Amino acid sequence: MSQQTRQQQPSQEPIDLQVDTSRPEPGTPEPGSELAASDRARRMITRLLRVAYPHETFPDGPYQRTAAAVQEAAGSNQADDRALARGLEGLDRAAGGDFLALDDGAAEALLRDRADEYFFRRIRSTAVVALYDDAEVWNLLGYEGASFDKGGYLHRGFDDLDWLPAARVDEYDGGRRVELVEDREAAR
Amino acid sequence: MSAVDESRARTHGSPIEHTEPVVVIIGSGAGGGTLAYELTAQGVPCVVLEAGPYLTGEDYVNDEWEAFNQMAWLDMRTTSGGWRVARDFPNLPAWIVKAVGGSTTHWSGATPRFMAHEFRARTTYGEVEGASLLDWPITLEELAPYYDRAERAMGSTHRHGRPALPANNNYTVFANGAERIGYRHYATGPYATNATPYDGRPASIQDGFNFQGDKNGSKWSTLVREIPRALATGRLDLRPNCQAVRISCAESGSVDAVEYLDARGDLHKQAARAVCVAGNSIESPRLLLMSASAQHPDGLANSSGQVGRNYMRHLTASAYAKFERPVRMHRGETMAGIIADEARHDTSRGFAGGFYMETLALGPAFLASFLEPGAWGREFTSWLDAYAHLAGMWIVGEDMPRPGNRITLNHDVLDQHGLPVPNVHFDDHPNDIAMRGYACSVADQLYGAVDALAVHHTPPYPSTHNLGTCRMSADPQDGVVDRWGRAHDVPNLYVSDGSQMTTGGAANPTLTIVALAIRQAEHLCEQMARGEL
Ligand SMILES: Cc1cc2nc3c(=O)[nH]c(=O)nc-3n(C[C@H](O)[C@H](O)[C@H](O)COP(=O)(O)OP(=O)(O)OC[C@H]3O[C@@H](n4cnc5c(N)ncnc54)[C@H](O)[C@@H]3O)c2cc1C
Repeated sequence: MSQQTRQQQPSQEPIDLQVDTSRPEPGTPEPGSELAASDRARRMITRLLRVAYPHETFPDGPYQRTAAAVQEAAGSNQADDRALARGLEGLDRAAGGDFLALDDGAAEALLRDRADEYFFRRIRSTAVVALYDDAEVWNLLGYEGASFDKGGYLHRGFDDLDWLPAARVDEYDGGRRVELVEDREAAR
Repeated sequence: MSAVDESRARTHGSPIEHTEPVVVIIGSGAGGGTLAYELTAQGVPCVVLEAGPYLTGEDYVNDEWEAFNQMAWLDMRTTSGGWRVARDFPNLPAWIVKAVGGSTTHWSGATPRFMAHEFRARTTYGEVEGASLLDWPITLEELAPYYDRAERAMGSTHRHGRPALPANNNYTVFANGAERIGYRHYATGPYATNATPYDGRPASIQDGFNFQGDKNGSKWSTLVREIPRALATGRLDLRPNCQAVRISCAESGSVDAVEYLDARGDLHKQAARAVCVAGNSIESPRLLLMSASAQHPDGLANSSGQVGRNYMRHLTASAYAKFERPVRMHRGETMAGIIADEARHDTSRGFAGGFYMETLALGPAFLASFLEPGAWGREFTSWLDAYAHLAGMWIVGEDMPRPGNRITLNHDVLDQHGLPVPNVHFDDHPNDIAMRGYACSVADQLYGAVDALAVHHTPPYPSTHNLGTCRMSADPQDGVVDRWGRAHDVPNLYVSDGSQMTTGGAANPTLTIVALAIRQAEHLCEQMARGEL
């Protein structure tokens, strides 16, 4: 364990739970990049998220909100901020100047090449929480969310599945369950 | 009494002097909460130290991440070993609640008993290479009367006249699949949530938020049953937001006090006649290890070197199946569905021990995080697009205890109090891998029999069942506590939670933890009556 970790750790935010603790190489300190917090970065991340988490039914809103969460998470830490800026610059470079100009297939191919890079893993760890913890998204996916105030689902379809026969709910009364193979042999 | 005193009595009980040596219970979950009630009901004054806040149904929220953030134990922990959790959730080895009521506030409610042979794992399974199997020093016969009491206390459905819960949509898919592949031992329980009003609590409204704390109070937890009843005896001093950090020893070799930090971080010391540790299987051994002294240089009650070892988390996996038509698994009780046909020990399947299959439903927020951590792209999103058409099950089976799977103190990483965080090391045993592979293939068959379009196998996520780190043993060299949960090394130190379990069995552990706590309370009362404590 490195010296760096020998410090008091605050308790975690849930958004950080999937964060890989193998931080990027410290490198030489540079002034914080302007790019990571810029509007262009917002547009690039939004585009990246749509390619990485494609849902035909989703409008731009959830992706934009998630992009903001990604920027905010990176902004809380200089190393992450720099990793994000470098990652985005790398995407532009690989795209011949403009990542935003690529079609879905080409953009996805660039992301596949970078699947294990820190900046993209960090984006995913934030995005997978932010994108799906969104009331608009729940609605689009058919999840009905909070139910207690509506009396639960007791009278709102908890048992409305009609494409299979009703199933027995009591325990089987046709004989004792085999617990040990010796039991089965004895029963023969 | 003033209004302030009255409300204090309701949530904190009756004050006990710090200098008065009483039974001090650490943790208010399944083990600690039960013990507090059983002892105070018998007239024994107790102090309960609980690291988390006092929250009730009104505070709970129907929102997965918000509820998790509100109640889960999020203090820093570290991980190591070959298990995937160390990669996917390096600082979240377990899902444990830090609040009054402990993890029983977030648990779902499945309450199967252990089978007789599971108490004799070493004898039944024989020598399994790389496993530290042991027989329990107690038998099913001895525990059976306490299982009865626990089932009545918890209101388990299908037991002692309690009616079954109705089938929800997820169960209808699960049970039809089970029937079609020849399983017979399926039902909506035993499950400790009221199908009809019982014990002063209402019937389930099927709100689908078991894992977030049940706002309706239909689900058993120590928060809704044991803690309020213990407070009402006038013999409990419940101290929420108070974390035990050290148990101290007298010259005699007995423990005599517990040091703890309050919400402000101030250190206090409570004198103790006996100490019962019930902080769940990561914090309990951590506390014993942090209580090392000249008398106990390797940690309190650790002359065997077994404190923290043999950590078990149950073989876990989940399977989600996609269907042509809607299921809406999120509606209704999360886990009111169990199949017991595969729980048998039958080595013809290629492994020792067995497993249960249980219905499981997550909302999109949790499903996205747990389905396939790190995954992205169209294959991943297709599962979320199919959300309303998914059915899900959880697989819970016996995993092999291993000496190297253990909780240790990580002195390189300190928590917010400056204390070493626990490191959780875990490597799957080949038996676990063989069982998981088999279980996933029968899940495929089950859902295939009801025309699933595809089935996804989800890797184990942060452990909800944490067991074995202060295990019971007949021989003091093999474990930490005896048949009563009393430390082999210290006459008035007890372990009262899932960490005393010698092996894990296939069954979800809470019913067994509660039964053991009821039994331990009886033993403590006898010891005190005889003047031996
Ligand atoms: C989502 C979920 C679903 C589950 N479903 C089921 C199920 O269906 N069936 C089943 O049998 N089990 C289930 N479980 C597991 C069950 O909740 C646990 O097995 C059980 O609660 C463990 O009891 P315990 O007494 O060991 O610990 P807990 O109930 O976790 O209680 C431990 C308490 O100790 C406190 N504590 C820890 N350290 C300290 C300290 N140093 N000082 C003071 N306080 C401390 C903690 O804050 C906590 O409140 C589930 C768990 C979860 C999270």
